[in-house]
Amino acid sequence: MKFSYNWIRELVEGLDAAPGPLEKLITMKTAECEGIERAGDLLERACAARVDTVEPLPGGHNVVAVVDAGRYGRKTVVCGAPNCRPGLITAYVPVGKKVVGGVESDGMLASGAELGINRDHSGVIELDSQVGAPLPGCVPDSVIEIDNKSITHRPDLWGHYGMAREVAAISGRRLKDPVDMSLLPQGPGAIKVEVEDFALCPRYSALVIENIEVRPSPLWLQARLTAIGLNPINNIVDMTNYIMAEISQPMHAFDAALLRGDTIFVRRAKPGEQFHALNEEHYELGPTNVVIADAGGPVALGGVIGGMESAISDGTTKIVLESANFQASSIRMTSSGIKLRTDASMRFEKAQDPANTVRGLARAIELLREISPGMRIVGGVADAAKAIPAPAPIPLPLDWLERKLGRAMAPAEVRRILESLEFEVKDAGRHTFSVTPPSWRATKDVSIKDDLVEEVGRMIGYDSIDPKAPLIPSVVPPGNPERKFQHELRDLFVDLGFTEVYNYSFTSEEAVRAFGLDAGAHMRVANPIASDQELMRASLLPGLWKNVAENAKHRESFRIFEIGYEIHKRSAELPDEIPHAVAAIYDRNGDGAAGLFEIKRVVECLLPGAEVCPAEARPFEHPARSADILWRGETAGRMFELHPRLVESGRAAILDLDLRTVRRLSVADFKYAPIRRYPSSAFDLSVITGLREQAGKLEASLASFAGPLLESVQFVRQYSGPPLEEGRKSVSFRLTVGSPERTLSSEEVGDIRARIIEGMRGLGYDLRV
Amino acid sequence: MLEQSIQELESGSQRRIQSASSLEELEAVRVEVLGRKGALDQFFKQMGKLPPDERSRAGKILNSCKQALEGALEARKQAFADAALRAKLDREWLDLTLPAPGPRRGHLHPITRIQRELEELFASLGFTVLDGPEVETEWRNFDALNIPLDHPARDMQDTFWLDGGNLLRTHTSPVQVRGMERLGPPLRMIAPGRVFRNESVDASHEHTFYQLEGMMIDRDVSVAHLLYFMKTLLTAIFKRDVTVRLRPGYFPFVEPGFELDIKCLICGGAGCPVCKQGGWVELLPCGLVNPNVLRMSGIDPEEWNGFAFGLGLTRLVMMRYAIDDIRQLQGGDVRFLEQF
Ligand SMILES: [Zn+2]
Repeated sequence: MKFSYNWIRELVEGLDAAPGPLEKLITMKTAECEGIERAGDLLERACAARVDTVEPLPGGHNVVAVVDAGRYGRKTVVCGAPNCRPGLITAYVPVGKKVVGGVESDGMLASGAELGINRDHSGVIELDSQVGAPLPGCVPDSVIEIDNKSITHRPDLWGHYGMAREVAAISGRRLKDPVDMSLLPQGPGAIKVEVEDFALCPRYSALVIENIEVRPSPLWLQARLTAIGLNPINNIVDMTNYIMAEISQPMHAFDAALLRGDTIFVRRAKPGEQFHALNEEHYELGPTNVVIADAGGPVALGGVIGGMESAISDGTTKIVLESANFQASSIRMTSSGIKLRTDASMRFEKAQDPANTVRGLARAIELLREISPGMRIVGGVADAAKAIPAPAPIPLPLDWLERKLGRAMAPAEVRRILESLEFEVKDAGRHTFSVTPPSWRATKDVSIKDDLVEEVGRMIGYDSIDPKAPLIPSVVPPGNPERKFQHELRDLFVDLGFTEVYNYSFTSEEAVRAFGLDAGAHMRVANPIASDQELMRASLLPGLWKNVAENAKHRESFRIFEIGYEIHKRSAELPDEIPHAVAAIYDRNGDGAAGLFEIKRVVECLLPGAEVCPAEARPFEHPARSADILWRGETAGRMFELHPRLVESGRAAILDLDLRTVRRLSVADFKYAPIRRYPSSAFDLSVITGLREQAGKLEASLASFAGPLLESVQFVRQYSGPPLEEGRKSVSFRLTVGSPERTLSSEEVGDIRARIIEGMRGLGYDLRV
Repeated sequence: MLEQSIQELESGSQRRIQSASSLEELEAVRVEVLGRKGALDQFFKQMGKLPPDERSRAGKILNSCKQALEGALEARKQAFADAALRAKLDREWLDLTLPAPGPRRGHLHPITRIQRELEELFASLGFTVLDGPEVETEWRNFDALNIPLDHPARDMQDTFWLDGGNLLRTHTSPVQVRGMERLGPPLRMIAPGRVFRNESVDASHEHTFYQLEGMMIDRDVSVAHLLYFMKTLLTAIFKRDVTVRLRPGYFPFVEPGFELDIKCLICGGAGCPVCKQGGWVELLPCGLVNPNVLRMSGIDPEEWNGFAFGLGLTRLVMMRYAIDDIRQLQGGDVRFLEQF
């Protein structure tokens, strides 16, 4: 929202703070300012000038004009405007000399846009002033931009008067009300108003005015609207915009001649009702929308936009001026429903003050006297309103206020601050005030005593409060074992050479398909930002895959990991979010075996004693290189090589761990086992078998035959080639046996060895002994 | 006569020992002179034929000769062994400028680093660290935080909605609600985590970023206490004394609500491009918890109150490491990540 410094200064008596300091005060006490812009700088030196002669300048559209520029004298200027003609009164600005097309041009003739009066740059501005006179009522301005987010809770700050009230309170000056309520005519209105539901439209006020002349607004009015970013259109529309910008009351003018019947209906739209709006769009409405209708149908979408059929035109002579109040949530719904936010809807969404409707009409009468001098008011104000309850007083205990702020407050100071903001303050017993907010703060903004803490706090200035340590018992905060576990895991990954990546929680149908997952089983984003971010990830693997593909472009090898949440749809209120850790080892060279064994080493570091059980490959896995990870009897994850067709060059070994399962299994408590006192014995055995026989299986078989005295089986090496037959390999293990109670005799060790050999042979293995 | 012969043997043998060029040569000397049938042995045998007084004298000379030669042999042997070891070790020369094999230590994500630092900091001040889900109910994300359906504040956040009516949390504040529901007052908690806003991505905007929400609920918590905690925390975060100021800010879940600024750490408040010449940098929103929020989480606001704040973790990370493109944080590029 843009605020004109000149405008605020008109409303605050004797305001002497310059725009810069004023902006800082507003930021510290009311709302965040985003900066100051100058507007209409050329107006400082502009004056009316008459074009005396015009000669074409060869080689272009420019002309050489000699003008009578009053106090600046006769000047020769080069001008490109098509309307530059002898006799024209326009604006001259002495901006210095420059040579254009071989002619020295001294100053310029300016368009409305260049002057900052309006947006017209089709030609130089046409004036009807005295030669040499300044442009009437037009002076340079400073425009203070306020962050809209910081005033969403303040309906009153959507107009200059509201901001002027803040400035007056901050600077201790008197506020000047621009509205003269005595101007309102008495008697019955000249048009009937029927409001169907006062919950949706708490108040609808209207006034009929005839003998209107539609024409451009005076320059000062145009300049003011332009400065705050509104587009001047004609005197009637400009007037409604001016009042909206001044007292935050949106208004609308209908061409009375185009209204059908003698009654304005404020009602819900009928299902499928059509509406042709001023922005030339057609809308199909429904019962959630409030329309202003005449006997023939909707003429405005209440609180949002007027209708095309009843719009003001150059031929309009009689108007119905609407100044109404609408329910904030209804306007919000309508506005977001049809995706149209207007200056009006933006204000009504903030819950405007119903008391303001007739103030808008009174202000309109005053402005119309100047901008359409022959106008005549017809009848009184038509005013349909429900009884609006007076704002409830809020008890404010002063010791409570001090405890909240953390500083002492003199009661007189509290009273002064609240009264300067037009709150009504009464004594209500010991150290308690009874505070009634003004109507423009009571619609939504202020309703509890905590709201008053803010009013007092911001006005005394939060810098007047000294930081103070609270007196609170010292307690050990409850731990967060999940987070602690994840942090430890991160450290482990990092120690093992992995770098942490963060990926989005979103994924795409394409990625999901590439990983053989069911897109329908994913949570879907209703309003995705891009088509590749329309599903919630139910696996961290597609993200990791993308990381592998991207980094493989720059690196021969790398290790990465991510800890994040899989989001799984379920029938309960919220989806199941399962923490997972995924990791990848990529190498552009080699056959991928080394990477997979490194992943296996990671598994053994993270989950001591885990078993890697080769499992049937999923579509994105190398068909002969995938395994489940079993830990303490449960499947805790998966390791595999990414299917080589998913990797442009090189190989990627992948780990995917379900951290919920891992953490659950990690918490097992244990006690230490005494160190063995008796020496153990070791012997080697080599099993001759087929090439694809799993060493893990052989190891398990050896262990099963060894019996309870086995301490460990260790893989030593494997070999294939001569003298072994083709298709055979020899796998060697070292077995260690012993007893916690005694040293085994060589006969006992021999017996165990013989038992194993016999057992293995029984299974059909050949043993080299 | 004998005496002279012994002396000659000794000096001759000494020369041979010193000039021996191998262990074999040395052994030959030992066998010849000190061996069982060696030269010295011959002298010992001759000695028996001498008269007693001469015999004892010759015995002494012979023994001293034997000891001297044995010592010299041993010393010479040791010298050979030392030389052999020296030669062996010299052959073991290693080029230690070669790179060490195996992977290097990996790198934590910069957000993890800063987040952990803050978790530890808050834990030291008695705050517990809480977590909540990425997918939240509309109730916890908005309604329970005093942001009803028709509240304009819902404009402030462009929300990602999910089929079925839930949403991606737009802030970590729902974790406050969970904390109040689960732990009740008194409560000191922080909730670092991933949040989502439906906005297009460029160098300074992300739809996915990290926040750290904090809350303290106790009896008679004041603006002065909030200021104290913020100043303490920020001094620890920036590792230097910071000057903070509060100004009005609107957030429906606090009343009064503040924007907290810190005096620009680059220029010290004099004005520079970082603070847009203002001398202050907007850092975090905070405020006293709105009594409606407490009430909705089952806490009596007449008995308890508190403060809450929201720290932009992503922003802090960018400030700390001078990262100028927010997209890098979730870009997964190891060339970026390995710098941390
Ligand atoms: Zn600075």
